[in-house]
Amino acid sequence: MSQQRYAIVLDTRKCLNCKACTVACKFENDVPVEDEAYRIWVTEMPLTGRFPYLHQEFQPSQCQHCENAPCEKVCPTRATFTTEAGAVLVDYDKCILCKACMVACPYDARFVSLEHKAVEKCTLCIHRLQEGREPACVETCPTKVRVFGDLNDPKSEVSRLLGSSNSYRLKPEKNTRPRLYYVT
Amino acid sequence: MMNSLKMNRRRFLGVSGGALAAATLGSGLGQLRAAKSEEDLSRFQKRGKKEYIASNCAMCVNKCGIIGEVIDGKLHKINPNPEHLKSRGMLCAKGNAGASLPYSPERLKKPLLRTGKRGEGKWKEISWEEAYRHVAQNLARLKQKYKNRSSVAFASTEGLQEEFFYYLVSGFGSLNTVRHPTLCLSTNIQGWSSVYGVYPDADLQNAEFVVMIGSDRAQSFITPDSVDFQRFKPKGQTLVYLDPRFTETAAKADKWFAVKPRTDMAFTLAMLYVILEEELYDKTFAKRELHGFERFREHVFANGYTPEWAESKCEIPADEIRWTARQFARHAPRSVIYPGRRSSFYAHEVYFRQTCAMLTAICGCWDVKGGIVPKSSVPLSSHTPLFPFFYDVKERVDKEAVGIVKKVVPSVVDCPLVGTGLPEDSCAFLSERDGSWITFREAVLHDEPYPVRGFVCFKQNPLQSVPNTAKTLQMLEKMEFICVIEQQMSDTAWYADLVLPHSTYLESWDPCHALSGIWPVVVARQPVIQPLFNTRTMFEISRGILTEMLKIPELWDDVEAEALEDFKKTVMQEILEQPIQKYMQHQLKDYPGGYERILEKGVLVPSQKPNYGKTRQNGFRFKTKTGKIELFNERFHKRGLDPMPSYCEPLRPQKEGEYRFLVGRTAWHTHSSTQNIPHLWEIMKENAVWINTAEAARLGIHDGQYCRVTSKVGQQTLKAYVTEKIRPDAVYYVNGWGRLSPGMSLVYKKGGSEAEILEDTMDSISGSAAMHETYVTIEKA
Repeated sequence: MSQQRYAIVLDTRKCLNCKACTVACKFENDVPVEDEAYRIWVTEMPLTGRFPYLHQEFQPSQCQHCENAPCEKVCPTRATFTTEAGAVLVDYDKCILCKACMVACPYDARFVSLEHKAVEKCTLCIHRLQEGREPACVETCPTKVRVFGDLNDPKSEVSRLLGSSNSYRLKPEKNTRPRLYYVT
Repeated sequence: MMNSLKMNRRRFLGVSGGALAAATLGSGLGQLRAAKSEEDLSRFQKRGKKEYIASNCAMCVNKCGIIGEVIDGKLHKINPNPEHLKSRGMLCAKGNAGASLPYSPERLKKPLLRTGKRGEGKWKEISWEEAYRHVAQNLARLKQKYKNRSSVAFASTEGLQEEFFYYLVSGFGSLNTVRHPTLCLSTNIQGWSSVYGVYPDADLQNAEFVVMIGSDRAQSFITPDSVDFQRFKPKGQTLVYLDPRFTETAAKADKWFAVKPRTDMAFTLAMLYVILEEELYDKTFAKRELHGFERFREHVFANGYTPEWAESKCEIPADEIRWTARQFARHAPRSVIYPGRRSSFYAHEVYFRQTCAMLTAICGCWDVKGGIVPKSSVPLSSHTPLFPFFYDVKERVDKEAVGIVKKVVPSVVDCPLVGTGLPEDSCAFLSERDGSWITFREAVLHDEPYPVRGFVCFKQNPLQSVPNTAKTLQMLEKMEFICVIEQQMSDTAWYADLVLPHSTYLESWDPCHALSGIWPVVVARQPVIQPLFNTRTMFEISRGILTEMLKIPELWDDVEAEALEDFKKTVMQEILEQPIQKYMQHQLKDYPGGYERILEKGVLVPSQKPNYGKTRQNGFRFKTKTGKIELFNERFHKRGLDPMPSYCEPLRPQKEGEYRFLVGRTAWHTHSSTQNIPHLWEIMKENAVWINTAEAARLGIHDGQYCRVTSKVGQQTLKAYVTEKIRPDAVYYVNGWGRLSPGMSLVYKKGGSEAEILEDTMDSISGSAAMHETYVTIEKA
């Protein structure tokens, strides 16, 4: 068993819908300016109520780094793999662009990258983690909606947050067991 | 930038492991450093020689800390600087997108001289030497022709290089300078200063009760406030937010009141009424510190500013106003009525801002933890350039053109603002450098009191930022010479005779600057990358132009010989002809190792501790006429203005079907300067006019349909955004689209321009534009 279990804990109540994370991600990961090309996003949840009684939430999201990842299961060439710490990654060399993973992903987290000639998605900024740096979205966020860390470390901020708050994961009915937790 | 992962892929075949980059940026993630060796994740690493260079952002006014990540000489990404106390170690969308600025195919690269008609887009590239000579000769020509150096106006906006623009201004000697504050926060400055003598900050990290009125801090970023109000929001803090629109800040608020535009002051006056009537104010503080307390109390009672009265004006229920007032007083001194930033809303705005300052005062929420706190600064050593005294100079036009206010402020002379305490002849309190954009332009258009025929503009874009574009174009038409110093072909640059390309902030040495606040810091800039093109900074441009000016004797014929020698020595030889680094070292001479530290860390943080209480010490004298906190303003009184705030009725629509037009921001754009940046443009490719669902149904307008928005001064066509998020009596769209310059190709003629339809109404105490006083009609296009 790995010494580490990566997770991101998100407190969407702090989200300003400012798009700092999405722009940072594009620069960090060389994702081009294209409508279909993005690794992370901020959803403006439906506005509820009638003027002047209104409510709206903003939900940043991305690849959920599922422990039970449907994208990995359907990949015919095993291009998609999970690291021991739990990052779900794509080996661009092995990807044959069959797009089965794009269909399988319940979170619409994947897209075709012309740069990589492969399907790509959030890597948890695995290249930054290797240098001891946080994912770009986590680092740049003004209000620190996202916290990244190790669930196996009981002293980590992610462990503390999950221990002290209620949380949910997206689309639990899919039994994907994401490593992204949303606290309430 | 785009091929770095491909390189990884190729190297992956031959390289295992790979060297990890040495730099670890204060993330406390050391335990994550070692990747499992059996998982070869090195293929995901970015290869190349990496450098991390600390500097400061210039995508908006905030100057947040940045660390440029440069790979093989190319700027790959801009990261936030964790040591920058003001920006709290974050970087917004704009700050991130700055990384593409130097590489923009549309940036200006060489000096351009107009060869066709103005606005035709025909240019010839010239050398910097020719450009400097051209400017100097034109300045000399205008000075000789009009025998008045003020016949050339100089416009600029804030930034670390702006002080060197002022070297050029002072070396030429014009008094006609015009800056951004009267399009932004000058009413806020005047309103708060009328009570305290200063314009303060809010301690949102420690406040228990916060009232924000029209300051959309979630989308209109100010550091540290935009960070603090959600990231460090203390448990139990209550946020009450007033805005005719349901903004992102409204979505974060505990209570949102969709206040009727232009009636915010009824709300604050009624809060004052409740607190005074129920005696919830800080009696000790009032007795000791406040001037005119009794008269003010009489004033509020005599005018009957009750919550019931206010409800009839601002459409916020009286019991909610009463609740807000009581909560505000209960949590005092940890209560904030937020000063905000841009306050160019209405023609009477200074008085509204004065009421906010007064609420703070009577509850004693002044200069304490969790309250409103005067800014602290960090002293820097100043230089002493000696500029000559010129004889051929006339006083500024916006000061001298008596009666001009009546021409630009129809709302002042029309009912119902008559006799509401606003000056009608000239602006009451103009800042010498800032001037008043609206008054200035009107004076130029009328040649009052003398002709202004030259226009030198540094990084300002009045065609998009000053209400009523038609008038700004008319003003430019009057000019015999227009020079614009810019990074991109802005709308104003497009109409210039000469365009000088300025270096981006990522290629520039910029002098030190103290950012004042509750947590003051010092910033400066160093090049993150080497300059890519033949661009210059304002420091270099001023040196170049002044050098050419010194070769033209006519430019110095109204100067004493000794003064000219002093100028040559103290300005040219000792400053502009020296490396700018020497200038910066002098600024920091009282901080041993400060210069080296600012290059290494990007910022000097003298203390992590907030500054509270310096004005609460015994014997402190406020910068007001009486030296006390003034509820009865002696300076206003002396000028014949209302010394205390009185409510005045808003302008009403003149015909059926008119909507009040509102101005606002998104978090991913700065005014009109960032729309052509692809990473920001793609977030929202066109702006759309917000219209309430019920009104849209009445007009038969569908979401996404193109509409014509028409005011007295202009018309724009853009898409409709049909939404519950706005009052039925108002419409809104964001600034920055509908551009005139083909050099902003992503937004050229796309969407709608704000300035084109805004009327040039004004608050004549501060000279500030009043940008929420325009009524429009809307119809299907």
